[in-house]
Amino acid sequence: MKTGPYYFVKDLPLHELITHEFINTFVKKGSCYALTYNTNIDEDNTVALLPNGKLILSLDKDTYEETGLQGRPSQYSGRKVMKFIVSIDLMDLASNLDSKKYGRVSWSFKEKKPLKFDFLLAWHQTGAEESVMMSHFSDYGIQERQPDVVLGMVAELRCPVLRSGQLGGEPGAACGARELLDWLGAVFSHTELNNEPNNFISTYCCPQPSTVVAKAYLCTITGFILPEKIHLLLEQLRHYFDEPKLASWVTLSVQGFADSPVSWRENEHSFGKGGEHLYNFVIFSNQDYWLQMAVGADDDCPP
Amino acid sequence: MRHRRSARAGDVTGGAIHELGVCDSSCWWDRVCVIYHAFSQKEAKELDVQHPGTQRAEAFVRAFLKRSMPRMSQQAQEDHLQRKAVVLEYFTHRKRKEKKKKSKGLSAKQRRELRLFDIKPEQQRYSLFLPLHELWKQYIRDLCNGLKPDTQPQMIQAKLLKADLHGAIVSVTKSKCPSYVGVTGILLQETKHVFKIITKEDRLKVIPKLNCVFTVEVDGFVSYIYGSKFQLRSSERSAKKFKAKGTIDL
Repeated sequence: MKTGPYYFVKDLPLHELITHEFINTFVKKGSCYALTYNTNIDEDNTVALLPNGKLILSLDKDTYEETGLQGRPSQYSGRKVMKFIVSIDLMDLASNLDSKKYGRVSWSFKEKKPLKFDFLLAWHQTGAEESVMMSHFSDYGIQERQPDVVLGMVAELRCPVLRSGQLGGEPGAACGARELLDWLGAVFSHTELNNEPNNFISTYCCPQPSTVVAKAYLCTITGFILPEKIHLLLEQLRHYFDEPKLASWVTLSVQGFADSPVSWRENEHSFGKGGEHLYNFVIFSNQDYWLQMAVGADDDCPP
Repeated sequence: MRHRRSARAGDVTGGAIHELGVCDSSCWWDRVCVIYHAFSQKEAKELDVQHPGTQRAEAFVRAFLKRSMPRMSQQAQEDHLQRKAVVLEYFTHRKRKEKKKKSKGLSAKQRRELRLFDIKPEQQRYSLFLPLHELWKQYIRDLCNGLKPDTQPQMIQAKLLKADLHGAIVSVTKSKCPSYVGVTGILLQETKHVFKIITKEDRLKVIPKLNCVFTVEVDGFVSYIYGSKFQLRSSERSAKKFKAKGTIDL
């Protein structure tokens, strides 16, 4: 199954993202996503483009004071504000190109403080060719990349027993959702789950009751993946249980970028101690599912 | 026989009567004229002669006081009678001293009302102030003895700190408030906390100095002025010494 290409551009100046052609070609049709690459959310300037046409800039204090654009201080700053969030609505700008707002934003990006970033771009549109984006940014050395897919197998894996109707778990009969999340984390980081006393790395033990599964597959996909592709993946996983299988459940876990300036629905996201924000689907053989969402310390609660 | 009229105190008011003549029984009265004239007050005091009426009045008052205020001694009564004069109003025409008129100067409110420093809208045109800018450039060139490309920036900085900036083209590069950033124009007035600038669109803008960084450019030399350290009237600034501190954060 194709998880779609994404594009990587080096040193793209910010004013390219507010040109009329860009907005008309990509933002208005389909959903366009962009994120700066290799910038730390709590130290550097970070830019993200959301599919609803909003350009979010998370700037540090000196940059914010120099650009001259109206923004608000970050929610997760201490007593002295170090980070400012500027939000520009591209749909609104494109509707009136002669407006003062557009003039000001354009002046700021072109003359006052030209900013350049390495961007990860992705664009989804039903029924369009993929190479439109390549040709648009051909002056900037755009590269097309595919997400990395790593398929691994774990033998003799101890899995907890789950029952779809009971989220909280039943002592002695099934495990709860929280224990499952802990177990998943242990599996993803490839620790051993047998609680050996001389194990230096981890003393985690699989929650009881558990069964031993002969073979378990772990598939990891890394890249700038669109939500539409994740949706497709989810559909495919549902069809896994069309034929009777030994396993009773499968999980799909999605981890967001730690350096993204936004979390769900434009909530502000900051790094804190570990910038995690993730969600996890557990799909049962009877087509029930559990959805778990988790955020880090510097985040608002998920919707 | 006419009776001899004796001088009896009390008959004639205001004085006593001299009797000059004595008549005997031989009707000498006709020949002696008695000259009556009143004593003056002074003569009465000298001769210690008192009008009989006053003597009688005094005696009456004393007796009355003694009867009504038996506790009070004679001396105390006498003291009370000797009233001391209390001056209630003192009317003298003092010579009015010439009050030295101190010129206090006008307060800020009065100055604002006077509108001495306001620039009328007809005069708010950018093109009117361009010659001022040229003058200022000339002034700075003279101040720095010519702006050659190899002059040291420190010297220019030092001179600019004390120079007068009226007429310079300043622009705001950094500011805590984003809407001030980018404002460029000729500086018209400088007060303690504020710059008044006229922009190219003929708008008079008032920009507070605090938390702003201004850029002044002369012939290729660009200087950044930190407004928070510049909160002085331009007249006072020429006398102030600026210390060099580390980096300044807005």
